Amino acid sequence: MSLTPGLHHFLVVSALLFSLGLLGVLARRNLLVIYMGLELMLNAANLALVAFSRFNANLNGQVMVFFIITVAAAEVAVGLALIVALYRKRQSAHVEDLTSLKL
Amino acid sequence: MDVHAAHNAVTAAAPAFSSRPEDIAWFILLLPLLAAAGITLIVRRSNFLAATFSIAATVTAFVLSFVLFLMFGVGDAAAVTSPFAWLHAGELAVNLGVTVDKLSTLMLLVVTGVSALVQVYSVGYMHGDRSFPRFFIGLSLFTFSMLGIVLADNFVMMFLFWELVGVSSWLLIGFWYEKESAADAAKKAFLTNRLGDFGFLLGIIIIWAAAGTVNFAELSQKLGAHPDLLGSLASVAGLLVFMGAMGKSAQFPLHVWLPDAMEGPTPVSALIHAATMVAAGVYMLCRVFFLYQVETAWPAALAFFGSISALDIIGGIGAFTALLAALMAIQQNDIKRILAYSTLSQLGYMVMAVGCGGPDAAMYHLTTHAGFKALLFLGAGSVIHACHHEQDIWKMGGLRKLMPKTFLTFALGTAALAGLPPLSGFYSKDAVLLAALDNGHPVLFGLGVLIAAMTTFYMLRLVLVAFLGSGRSEAAGHAHESPGAMTWPLVILAVPSVMLAWVPLGDYLTHHFFTDHGHVHGHGSEVISFGATISAAFGLVNHILFEPFNHAPLPAFLGTGALIIGAWIAVTLYWNAERDPLPKLLGSFARGMRNRFYFDEIYEAIFIPLHDLVARLADWFDRWVVGGLAVRGAHGSTELLGRALRIVQSGNLQTYTFFFVAGVALVVLIALK
Amino acid sequence: MTNGDYYQLLKLLAPEWTVVGTVLAILFADLQFWRNRSVAWRSAGAASILSLGFAAAAGLLIWKRAVTADLLGGTLVLSPTSQYVKLALLGLAIVTAWLCTEGEFTKHVGEFVALIALATAGMMFLVSTENLLMVFVALELVSLSLYVMTAFNKRSPRSAEAALKYFLFGGMAAAFTLFGFSFLYGLTGSIHLPTIAAKISWHAGDPLTLVAIVLVVAGFGFKIAAVPFHLWAPDAYEGAPAPAAAFIASGSKVASFFVLGKLLSVGLPGVGGSGAWKAFSPGWLAVVAILATASMIFGNLAALAQSSLRRLLAYSAIAHAGYALLAIIGGSQPALLYYAITYAVTSVGIFGVVAVVENRTGNEDIAGLAGLRERSFLLSVALSVFVLSLAGVPPLAGFFGKFYAFAAAAKLGSSLGYWWLVALALGASCVSLFYYLQVLKQVWVAPVPEGQGKVAGGWVVSILLALLALAVLVTGAAPELLIRFLK
Repeated sequence: MSLTPGLHHFLVVSALLFSLGLLGVLARRNLLVIYMGLELMLNAANLALVAFSRFNANLNGQVMVFFIITVAAAEVAVGLALIVALYRKRQSAHVEDLTSLKL
Repeated sequence: MDVHAAHNAVTAAAPAFSSRPEDIAWFILLLPLLAAAGITLIVRRSNFLAATFSIAATVTAFVLSFVLFLMFGVGDAAAVTSPFAWLHAGELAVNLGVTVDKLSTLMLLVVTGVSALVQVYSVGYMHGDRSFPRFFIGLSLFTFSMLGIVLADNFVMMFLFWELVGVSSWLLIGFWYEKESAADAAKKAFLTNRLGDFGFLLGIIIIWAAAGTVNFAELSQKLGAHPDLLGSLASVAGLLVFMGAMGKSAQFPLHVWLPDAMEGPTPVSALIHAATMVAAGVYMLCRVFFLYQVETAWPAALAFFGSISALDIIGGIGAFTALLAALMAIQQNDIKRILAYSTLSQLGYMVMAVGCGGPDAAMYHLTTHAGFKALLFLGAGSVIHACHHEQDIWKMGGLRKLMPKTFLTFALGTAALAGLPPLSGFYSKDAVLLAALDNGHPVLFGLGVLIAAMTTFYMLRLVLVAFLGSGRSEAAGHAHESPGAMTWPLVILAVPSVMLAWVPLGDYLTHHFFTDHGHVHGHGSEVISFGATISAAFGLVNHILFEPFNHAPLPAFLGTGALIIGAWIAVTLYWNAERDPLPKLLGSFARGMRNRFYFDEIYEAIFIPLHDLVARLADWFDRWVVGGLAVRGAHGSTELLGRALRIVQSGNLQTYTFFFVAGVALVVLIALK
Repeated sequence: MTNGDYYQLLKLLAPEWTVVGTVLAILFADLQFWRNRSVAWRSAGAASILSLGFAAAAGLLIWKRAVTADLLGGTLVLSPTSQYVKLALLGLAIVTAWLCTEGEFTKHVGEFVALIALATAGMMFLVSTENLLMVFVALELVSLSLYVMTAFNKRSPRSAEAALKYFLFGGMAAAFTLFGFSFLYGLTGSIHLPTIAAKISWHAGDPLTLVAIVLVVAGFGFKIAAVPFHLWAPDAYEGAPAPAAAFIASGSKVASFFVLGKLLSVGLPGVGGSGAWKAFSPGWLAVVAILATASMIFGNLAALAQSSLRRLLAYSAIAHAGYALLAIIGGSQPALLYYAITYAVTSVGIFGVVAVVENRTGNEDIAGLAGLRERSFLLSVALSVFVLSLAGVPPLAGFFGKFYAFAAAAKLGSSLGYWWLVALALGASCVSLFYYLQVLKQVWVAPVPEGQGKVAGGWVVSILLALLALAVLVTGAAPELLIRFLK
């Protein structure tokens, strides 16, 4: 058994990261932590892309990762702004306070 | 613009425009639409001009229809169609086209004729209504939509106008929208019709998917060449298309909207329930009769139907509707409702005729019925108008002397509906009965005779109670004859009610439907020329009167017998009666009849809780499961549930995300299997 | 790539440049010159600049309508159809911008209008690419703009809440899409849709392919609000400012449907599987059939229970997403686009009426429309046309869109394998009539409430609403007028 990690190893790590992020989104109360969970999910996709790029022997995947990182940065800006806006109105950054809109 | 000037200009313009029959047909179709547009855009403020526009357009359309009839209906001219591409998208090609043949020209005459008379009558009836022009816009739109159904040469175009009829009838029935009951009736009519249309559209889509065309002529040709084209769905497709007719022609179990639709102004009732909207279903069945001539085939799931064909089911539903509605009519007291149930019953008769394989008989009855039922409705309107909107026949009485013209015409209409020879109703009813007998449906034939007796009974009951005897209320005592605009249409309509069948209309229709089979029977010659028609009408009155009795004595004699028995019972019970003796005689059965066998209540009992339940379930789902399970518990009893669920669930957004993830997992699971 | 190519790229993207230029012009004018003006003045000014700029972009599109191009490995793919879809998007954006003049929900109206233009730019890129990277970037541009627009009413706590829900839900959907994209790339080694199409069929039975499909469809299911990825929609529709809701319901839907249809039919044709009756096999057809079924059933049932007009529209939008998915299943691009565009026109129109009525009465319930016939005849007629079109009553566009989409699905498969879906769709649209008629009943039958006067929008909005109603009528009566552009 070779010691160099194969594609499968990367994919397993990526899937784990994705699940961890998802778990964070599903289980945490604080909006900021939920948000970090989302970022983790994006990065899981990034890892998978880079791994695929390496094993497909072309650079498309890596280029895509650069763009995803950039877009994620923009998303951070918008997301934090929204959390701040909500905090100003509600004095809270917890999901359970987000229940005024419902049937 | 003067009526005559408009009329002359238009008729002069038509031949100059073109004398091809299909162009004339297009022109007929567009006239009422132009009138509606003209009223809306130009003369919305003037009652007089609105009525003039509308009537001029319809009368012109009638005259042009007559021209078409002379060109086409008479003689052996082949059908023409004039399609132009409306839409070609991939395999879906739909043309807008008109079909001009014997069937559509006859129906054109019926629709434009009745519509014109109803509009004239409305000038009197709606006098003083603040939305007078809106009423005429509605009538014109309705006429336009109806003409579209008549002329359509393919399923999609027919469906378009089919729905337009639904919408414009919704506008007309709900004309007095401030009245809650009128608005509800309009909604009920629309919704019930949509239920039928659901099947209709599904049928159209199946036919298109299987045969690749929606054009009637092409479809007929294809089905003629390959009777198995529709495969195992042949009968299902036929029944689905019939569902459309069930909605429009108010067949059981979708019949509930029609009596309620009486909430509209009476001229609307006459237009919708006599000649047009309700007739559309029967007309459609006749137009696509080729669809039912293919071999019976059921998909595996419905194999238990065996050799029962779509037509058998249609015939059964028609007969059942006819019987049910006749029973209900016997114990109604509202003059318009009696007529409404009578219409239902007669429509059932027509559908039964189609089901027995006699579209010619169905169209025959449709045509004569259009005349005398419009007459009866307009007569009822005249009575209601005179009695200050009193509709209960037990509060009328003695109107014979006060309203002689109305009485006389109403009596003629009643006699025609009852099938008194030699009035028109006798012949068409005879044709229906004959179709049932000839094509091997003895049970339906028996039912038909029974219904004929009941028809006579309830119509005579109406006449005896409302017009004879003495006035039973203040309003009835002070009644007076209606103005000329209302009585003249009655007189004009009385003419076809009496004489329509003296022209060989039956042969005309038989000729249209069964030329290939050489299956022509009845009186008159095989090839019909207009001259022969005239001479047949005037020279052979004697012959006409006795012909049915010679040709097929059984239905003719039984029909007449039913008439006599029905009349005898009615006279015995209701001659000078002060109150209805029937409830005592029949007990709870009469109550059932009076309450329409509780169909509305049954429907309400089924549908409203169902609707509530579904709404409540959706509400519950959204409130508790989707809505985060953490609501304040504003509903008292639900507080506990809320608390219990709050332990499981932390908050709103995460419920959402949970469902998202669960959704993904579920879809993967289902799709992987 | 040579300089000449860049020049060509610049020329081909002229409409997009114009739109981006409009964004800058609006921001500049608003910040530099209009600081001291009233909000009403500034919103009208910003909408005017946007209309002018977009009219210029539309002119460029019409001028170059016959263009076809495929540059940079599918990053930019232009066809006449994509040009016409962009035209529709520009039109929807103009109407949305003018809706900002109804009601003052923010002081920063210039930025709001600029965001509309920015989202439009994103949608225009979205419809002109066959490259996964570009799809993702454009999609994010659209989404981020819409999130911010949703949050724009800073006075209302509900606006921020709606935006945050929309944002977090959307972020998760984006992560799913991206994960799906990475699998597609991993399986085929390409992010170019036609190349993916050529290679993916080798992996047709692979569970990984199926997972990738589900993940991608889930991401787009979020954008088009298909069950079970719809949960953000009712909240966002309710909390967002009316123009933002209108744009989410219209422009965003058109672009998303277009790109989803393209992704599935161009990128994954070999792995469709089947959703036919008793012939079910894994693939995107099966997945989409499941989503369509769930959307039609759930959307219509939930709409029955609504009393808030906006939530009703949201559930009706969910149901309509289900109907439109039938066109994707049928594989008919014109049917899909006809449906999406006419639906978008209808819903932007309804939100226009909603904006005007809410602005004047402050009532968001269906009951707020009571007696509208007496209070504004124009709005009543326009609303009736829109609602009847949504209900699918001929001859309005909604009927024909449904007919075309259902017929496309029915035609698929030799033995009517999808008839179950078509029957379900027809039944569902029958049910939908109940709640649509509730709206009309309020408008035409319910008595005018005490103390409620006339309702009237600004003249530009009134004209636009009348034009939209007319468009719904005309494209329904003569669908060929629209469809010939979409083939």
